[in-house]
Amino acid sequence: MSWIREETPPDENTWSERFRKFCANVLKTGPIPKHVAFIMDGNRRFARKKGMDRAEGHLMGFEKLAETLKWCRDLGINEVTVYAFSIENFKRSKEEVESLMEIARQKFARLLQEKEAIMKHGVCIRVLGNLTLLPLDIQRSIAEAMVMSKDNDKAFLNVCFAYTSRHEISNAVEEMAEGVEKGLIRPSDVSESLLDHCLYTSHSPDPHLLVRTSGEVRLSDFLLWQSSFSVLSFMEVLWPEFSFWHLCAAVLHYQRNHQAIMRARDQHNQEREQALRQADYDGVVAELQQVDPDKTDQSKWASVPTLVQKQETERDRRVQEFLQHLDRKRANFLDNLVQKNEIKVCS
Amino acid sequence: MILHQVLLYLVHTFLAIRTWLASLYHGLKKPLAFKHRKRNVHRIKSDSKELSKLPIHVGLVVVEDDFRYGELASLVVWCAAMGISYISLYDSQGILKRNNTSLWQEIMKQQQELLGEDSNKYSIELVKGNRTATQLTGQKYSVEVRLLSSEDGRTDLLHAAQRWCQDVEAKRKKVGDLEPTGLEGLLQATKGAPDVDLVLKFGTVDSLLGFLPWQIRLTEILSLPTHHSIDYQTFLLALQSFGNIEQRFGK
Repeated sequence: MSWIREETPPDENTWSERFRKFCANVLKTGPIPKHVAFIMDGNRRFARKKGMDRAEGHLMGFEKLAETLKWCRDLGINEVTVYAFSIENFKRSKEEVESLMEIARQKFARLLQEKEAIMKHGVCIRVLGNLTLLPLDIQRSIAEAMVMSKDNDKAFLNVCFAYTSRHEISNAVEEMAEGVEKGLIRPSDVSESLLDHCLYTSHSPDPHLLVRTSGEVRLSDFLLWQSSFSVLSFMEVLWPEFSFWHLCAAVLHYQRNHQAIMRARDQHNQEREQALRQADYDGVVAELQQVDPDKTDQSKWASVPTLVQKQETERDRRVQEFLQHLDRKRANFLDNLVQKNEIKVCS
Repeated sequence: MILHQVLLYLVHTFLAIRTWLASLYHGLKKPLAFKHRKRNVHRIKSDSKELSKLPIHVGLVVVEDDFRYGELASLVVWCAAMGISYISLYDSQGILKRNNTSLWQEIMKQQQELLGEDSNKYSIELVKGNRTATQLTGQKYSVEVRLLSSEDGRTDLLHAAQRWCQDVEAKRKKVGDLEPTGLEGLLQATKGAPDVDLVLKFGTVDSLLGFLPWQIRLTEILSLPTHHSIDYQTFLLALQSFGNIEQRFGK
């Protein structure tokens, strides 16, 4: 029932375990998606199929998550993002929402008990979403897990909980607006890179591969911005029945699309850079036009490249300060929750 | 290590051959399909009535490098004949946008050929970004076609974000006033059009390559190997698949 599954020692390996390791090594000679996102769909349908109740289906889903994390480690996938609970899921019956919250309560509490394994494997845990929508005790467990593992850097697990992509994007825009209100940044500083750093996923690269199980072929408000250039892999299998072989199939699928995606991504980034440089240049020229429309001061006009450079440097400085402010704000939110927890424990 | 590399190479070669054989098989199954491109508009309308669900806004996302305007025009006209009111054609680099005249000529030509005497009932218009209201003089069916590229996706969202920040700076708006729908109101690329319900993706790259990130929240994504020699039957099958999909909306 644990989050982190340990390796079995080599001499205790079964033939199937050895075969899995062999296949993993074969796959690893090709490109491996460093960050994979999962929409773990199909728990309820699995429960219906097996005649279990829904809560059991969700528990099986959790087991599958823990197994999948281990398989990802074996394949060299060091960052995993999962869609565990959508803001839309609050629309489900009160009974089901409460049972899901209870499962979450137990699982996040369990996560804290596995501190040793988490620190040993260097796993950094992040929970992404509008945490204020959750019961306070769950918020506190989540905060503790995040604060405890924040400096780990060998593997990254991002759990999207009380999350929707549109909320995430709007939230990022509001953070930027607040930055403008406080005078930390200007509206003209808004760029793809800045938005990337304001999203909940600010510390992660965009996912290279997105896998959705149970046969549905939509994104359902998950990582809409971040998956623009991801390889999409839609599989019929229900999440609790997901296997190592399905993961391998998804990785093979990624490998087949790898070059085309890299090309498209690189092109997009190049265009983005060019557009930014052009906008900077146009901005400086527009300003100079206003001050000196007849181009009488030649030296000023000759110094346009230097002015552009200066503007870029200033912008970078502003953006850095703003992002540090944002990081501190988010860290403070978590620290406050943890402190309240500690006070509660002591009293 | 060499063994592992060779094995992976063999697996990929096998997969590539399998894909090639599959497309060959599909190609042989319908040898004269392309010639049967001219469908009767009444037949299309009755096919449309039999669908359990018709999309309102279809995205035709082309992730192939070779564009065939004739076939793309057919897809647009079939959609219009089916009663789909919003059609967005997309390629990440904006090649369709740059060649909009050639594409448009094909669409006009096929509108005449396919829709025949009903052609005048349809107003298929090319809509660019900021839509201006047009006069619909006696046309029964109005269809909006948009040609989009990646700048209508992430870049459009960024411009919306900038506008919001400018409004906050000028104190026209307050931080905290932006609800999810607020940002939507600031987008230009699909202003006036509903979210995309269905994407038909043409090509073997399994990614949307930057297509309208905001508007594809609940979009069904169906992949077709290519738009080259696309036939009506394949298009209809895709719409029938869409019709059979059930959405639970989080519940």
